[in-house]
Amino acid sequence: MNGEALIKKEKKKVPIVEGLFTWPSDKPALIAARCKKCGAIVFPKAAYCPNPDCEKDPGNMEVIELSRRGKLWSWTIQRYSPPPPFKMEPFKPYAIGLVDLPEGIRVLGMLATTENLRCDMEVELTVGKLYEDGENEYITWMWKPVEDVSKK
Amino acid sequence: MERDVAIIGVGMIPWGRYPDPKNPTAYPERTMPEMAVEAIKRALEDAKISWRQVEAMVAGVYLWVSQQAGVHGILSGTAIANLMGYTGIPIVSVANACATGQSILREAVLAVASGECDIALAVAADKSAFGFFRPQSTDAKADIDYIRFVMCGETNPAYWAMECRRRMYEAGTTEEDLALVKVVTSKPAPHNPYARYQRTFTLEEVLKSPMVCDPLRLLMICSTSDGAAAVVVCEYEKAKKICKKPVYINAVTVGTPSFGDPTVRLTYTSSFKKPGVPTLSESRNAVQRVYKMAGLTPDKIDVIELPDNSSWHYFAYLDCILNLDPGEPEKMLRQGDLDPITGKIPVCPSGGIGAFGEAVVAQGLAQVCELVWQLRGEAGQRQVKKDLRHALAQTYGYAGNNAATILSKGW
Ligand SMILES: [Zn+2]
Repeated sequence: MNGEALIKKEKKKVPIVEGLFTWPSDKPALIAARCKKCGAIVFPKAAYCPNPDCEKDPGNMEVIELSRRGKLWSWTIQRYSPPPPFKMEPFKPYAIGLVDLPEGIRVLGMLATTENLRCDMEVELTVGKLYEDGENEYITWMWKPVEDVSKK
Repeated sequence: MERDVAIIGVGMIPWGRYPDPKNPTAYPERTMPEMAVEAIKRALEDAKISWRQVEAMVAGVYLWVSQQAGVHGILSGTAIANLMGYTGIPIVSVANACATGQSILREAVLAVASGECDIALAVAADKSAFGFFRPQSTDAKADIDYIRFVMCGETNPAYWAMECRRRMYEAGTTEEDLALVKVVTSKPAPHNPYARYQRTFTLEEVLKSPMVCDPLRLLMICSTSDGAAAVVVCEYEKAKKICKKPVYINAVTVGTPSFGDPTVRLTYTSSFKKPGVPTLSESRNAVQRVYKMAGLTPDKIDVIELPDNSSWHYFAYLDCILNLDPGEPEKMLRQGDLDPITGKIPVCPSGGIGAFGEAVVAQGLAQVCELVWQLRGEAGQRQVKKDLRHALAQTYGYAGNNAATILSKGW
């Protein structure tokens, strides 16, 4: 294989940690667990329901995909690079948010942009690259603002 | 409690870096057990007792074990006893993140209150990691903290900043309020020989400091430090005989979260919200329990040491401690009610964590040391200008660990 072919070949997108969102997918969703008895949800998925009044039976926990849309409860911009094992190449300031989903769960995640963010805006799940090597791009889940269609 | 308990001695070493190449005389090279020994020496001297008279010891476990101290960091109690000299007493090592200092005070108090012994010692030393704290493993299966860090890039200040922004959005906290916290809490710092940053800050300096995690700027966030503190507790009747100013322990407890709290705690990536469950429940649970144990209400508290890890914490913990709505502590700060020396309710006469830099597991005991000196009237130029009866200390609650203590004059 010559160099040109390598450059043209699209790199495979690989989650930095597997099993946290559906992948590969055009519409990735976070993978969580829900208690069949009380409805409590945990992300990442866990073997036991976190409700103190629920029996600790792994059989009660079913794997679910979380809603892909939610409301941005709050956000910040990380201006300096965190130390390893965090890896982002090249580093540039990025936004992090807390998102409220309709199921009653609040989920942490990076945001796909640092621009025009505001509390309570609608966001949608996507993925984004943090770094790459010769073969793969390494990705995580990210929240991106939902375009305001009415303004188009 | 079965038997009443009082503090008969406290001791701490100046916060900073050990070693500090710029000041090797005051800050020589010291391991964490060695720092603990220095704090114990001072506490025993204050209590006027010998190491042989200590009948039980509880030690804080360093949080940065895997990076710095190995097994001796986990088994810190016996590592310290190995330096002090073994005397055969019960020794337990406890890890409870930021709540460690007052968690070990609780264990020492329980040992005395139960009648197991009359005199017990709580000691904690920490060399907190530089800069942003990071996960201590790279195991995505066993360590959710690793997932949080590599997938979300969330540092501690980033979490604080998100909570802070929401508070500004909901309660109208201003950037100037956030800066004012540093200005006001730094007031007593020049008068505290144990503080690392013995200086004051102006509003302009804080507002011009670099943005770290919007809306939090560098001078709105605490640094990390090395430090060690120790507290000697004694059965109250005996304490009155051997000590002129025993400080009575009305209550000390540990708080953990309530299920359904919407707070997404550091090290975690989600929370499941239940209607009616408040945020920072680990703090509210600890505070409500010490009030109940002491038979007191927030209006009876005369001085507070709280964890001002960031300007957001200062306000959020005042909500919890004084049972206020967000926005009320901001108003009290602007009015001067919270001035560390002259306020109606002085907050952080020590200069707070802002003046110290957090030595995570030792910080809760440093707060207790300050309140003991304040109650005894020994705080010099930073002595609170009011008659003190009840003093309250609360620690921060990393990953859902919190602790609180109420002290009063026992003489
Ligand atoms: Zn359940």
